[in-house]
Amino acid sequence: MPLIEATGLTKHYGPVKALDGLDLAVEPGIIGLVGANGAGKSTLIKILLGLLTPTSGTATVLGMDTVRETRAIRHVVGYMPEHDCLPPDVSATDFVTHMARISGLPRAAARERTAEVLRHVGLYEERYRQIGGYSTGMKQRVKLAQALVHDPKLLLLDEPTNGLDPAGRDEMLDLIKRTGTDFGITLVVASHLLGEIEQVCSYLLAIDAGHLLQSAPISNFTRRTPVLAVEVEDGADRLVDALTAKGARARRDEARVLVAIDSDVLYDTVRDAVADLGVPLVRIRQERGRLEDLFRDAAPSDVSPAAGSVQ
Amino acid sequence: MTAPRGDSTGTRTGSIYDLGYRHYEGKRNGRLYAMWSLFVESLRGVWGFGRPMSAKAVPLILAGLYALPAVVQLAFSSVITQQAAKSGKAPELLNYQSYFADFSFLVFFFCVAQAPELVCRDQRYSVLPLYFTRAMGRIEYALSRLAALVLTLFVVLLIPALALFVGDVLMKPDAFKAIGDELPLALPSIPAGALAALVLGSLSLAISSFSPRRAYSAIGMVAYILLMEAIPAAIYSIGSSSGPNATDKLFLLSPLTSLMGATNWFFGVPLSPNDFAGTLTSAGYLGGAFVTFAVATLVLMYRYRRLPA
Repeated sequence: MPLIEATGLTKHYGPVKALDGLDLAVEPGIIGLVGANGAGKSTLIKILLGLLTPTSGTATVLGMDTVRETRAIRHVVGYMPEHDCLPPDVSATDFVTHMARISGLPRAAARERTAEVLRHVGLYEERYRQIGGYSTGMKQRVKLAQALVHDPKLLLLDEPTNGLDPAGRDEMLDLIKRTGTDFGITLVVASHLLGEIEQVCSYLLAIDAGHLLQSAPISNFTRRTPVLAVEVEDGADRLVDALTAKGARARRDEARVLVAIDSDVLYDTVRDAVADLGVPLVRIRQERGRLEDLFRDAAPSDVSPAAGSVQ
Repeated sequence: MTAPRGDSTGTRTGSIYDLGYRHYEGKRNGRLYAMWSLFVESLRGVWGFGRPMSAKAVPLILAGLYALPAVVQLAFSSVITQQAAKSGKAPELLNYQSYFADFSFLVFFFCVAQAPELVCRDQRYSVLPLYFTRAMGRIEYALSRLAALVLTLFVVLLIPALALFVGDVLMKPDAFKAIGDELPLALPSIPAGALAALVLGSLSLAISSFSPRRAYSAIGMVAYILLMEAIPAAIYSIGSSSGPNATDKLFLLSPLTSLMGATNWFFGVPLSPNDFAGTLTSAGYLGGAFVTFAVATLVLMYRYRRLPA
């Protein structure tokens, strides 16, 4: 039995088609749901949770219909919303315990599960402090904890790394991965960053404008691309000029410099250019397939200045 | 109540303290339990338990203010008795049926301060989706919150009645006889308090639920009460030069006025013409109060059906 199944799923908001005849069948695992903003990720998640009724078509979760068996589904599903959803003037312990009780856990069990889950997400002594004083990273952990506290079979995470710094992002992704592999819970992780999905997911669903674009194991998507991404703290423009002067094909992509790898000596060229300019280097890594590439027919190796406008 | 360690498919070797993730296989209660949990949490929220001290101050001060006249009378009951004995006249005391009429605006302030606490926070901080994706429906959510506010108001309304009762009994020389005398006078306070709690609770919660901001909700409630008290009185007074007229039915729209009239019904006293213009009887106001409660509750439920999650 597929975990999630949808046939002809359509959702219209007035004239806007958020989902347009979506068909899916997903097996358990860690599933990445990618799409640009507005592609219909959140709408799909909300339909699976029974928060929205589809305009037409049907969806099932663990074999239960999302419209007729909403209540049964909610006992086995945990949801971590994209937006902030925590009141600031209660402690994490009180809040998660309360949410556990709303899920039907008796008082003692709710307390025990809360302590356990908060430990799992990495909140220790801070859990007795008011949520209002937490960092974004800690708030994201509390959001994950409240979704996990009633031990769901399926977790729906909507943009779980929103607003996190790189370290917080990596920690959150690690947590997601452990939740999926060690805890044996199936996760659907919605994100617009393919890089994240690639780190943690085993399967990928790509949707665009309400249609299913791709549905396949992750390895099909994230082959390394012949592009080197150089992250510098500043002086990106100078670096692009220097590299271009040395004959490399480079262009700026926000704070990063993307360089086409045409030969093995390119690595040395980049190293020398960075050293000569003395720009503060953050990291150099080989670029992988990215969401934009998935939604664009252009070859990801194309980094000539003409293809991507300098931002 | 958690079951033994769940299957660990990973190869990670946990530290000696790490028991690993354990699946929960204990009891899961249904929606009535969820409603009860939210009701209890709401009661704690209204009184500020589990919140900073500042959250406790407002409800306690307002509830205290409403009870203050009765408590003062209780505190000075021995003095009042001595004075009465000296002068030979029966002391003029606060009585059960007029207490609400005289001080109901303080209970209304309690609603203005605390009803938004129950319904605005979850909207403002977008907590509602977490409820609605659990075993809790929208209507169940609204009714649990309403029940908590109504119970709170009921307690607030009954504290002064209890203080009056104790004070009156203490003032009499024969306490046991006094209890027998006072009880029939005091008991109608219970249904009257319940009615006032239902009407004020549903009305203030329905109005508050339309804004995620406490301030706007409070302004909305104050504006509603002011307009609904003033407009019917103005319309009535325009036409009243030629005696009572049909526009006195509009007083049913004034929440505080109609509650005063309705609570008098339980005490079985006729409405004083000084306080109540027009021809409506206390039974008429009672009917009006029930209609107000029903409409406000329906509006509250409608609002929660429509709220986006």
